[in-house]
Amino acid sequence: MNRFLLLAAPIALAIGVFGTIFGAAATSLIGPELTVASSLIVFSGALQFAMVGLLLAGAPPTALLVTAALLNLRHLLLGAALRARISGSVLKRAGLAWFLIDESVALTLAVQERPAMTLVGSGFLFYFAWFVGTLLGTLGASLPQFGSVAEAIFPVLFVGLASISADRRDLKVRALAAAAISAILVMIWPAVRSFVPVVAVLPVIIPERGEP
Amino acid sequence: MNIWIIVALGSLTYASRAVALVLLPDPPARMSRFLERIPAPLFASLAATALFTPQGSLASPALLAATAGALVAVRTRSLLLVLFAGIVGYAAYTLGVLLLR
Repeated sequence: MNRFLLLAAPIALAIGVFGTIFGAAATSLIGPELTVASSLIVFSGALQFAMVGLLLAGAPPTALLVTAALLNLRHLLLGAALRARISGSVLKRAGLAWFLIDESVALTLAVQERPAMTLVGSGFLFYFAWFVGTLLGTLGASLPQFGSVAEAIFPVLFVGLASISADRRDLKVRALAAAAISAILVMIWPAVRSFVPVVAVLPVIIPERGEP
Repeated sequence: MNIWIIVALGSLTYASRAVALVLLPDPPARMSRFLERIPAPLFASLAATALFTPQGSLASPALLAATAGALVAVRTRSLLLVLFAGIVGYAAYTLGVLLLR
């Protein structure tokens, strides 16, 4: 429990800071009610920030929906990665799916013990942090000075999780290959950055010849 | 923008979260081995993507310093130590900039 809190607390703080930044940015576009509703109903920082950008650019609703579909592609991989560790009824898994975000999956895979409880515990904590952050943002809170600190948490977290997950030589090679492909794709084609993780991961997880 | 667009975005997002977790059957051993290959490349990809701005240029030096700090600690294979090393990297860079001013 202590280890879980030690790992989850800084991530929740970072999510709260980003929630505040999102709340402040979105309120001026769609008002406080819809801003808070979006955090309660959508619960996806990447998509909600993209939504703000698209609304600023005057994009139509169809563009929002297409963006959502593309941004959410990586959830298929996250769900598949978790599926090997999450068992139980369809209803239970459907409930757990609500809490499936990058960071909660990451913690669940890192902690390893009681995966369903870790997913719910971290997911709820991050949902709460995102909601409270958004609410504070709509009320006028401003945390630009913490934005860069919060931003730095995420690559550090993912580096740590990749290192824990890569417990065999072939996984280390696959992880390095995915990182290299991602970096190249983002540099030469930044517009596709939202689904780079999907594009980069699929070719490196295919079985090697002769593998069982 | 109205509440129904937000509901549609939320529904799409939830569906993407639920599809694999709900519809995939209990994986057999071979499928489990395949699925267990996903996390390391996926997190490495997310880390690499986070090192760039939406315009495709490198992120802030402070963020890169934090990541470099984290990379120093990856051999420990401890998430706590990696997080701590990342914070140290960030702090060292920020302090260095302040001292050089």
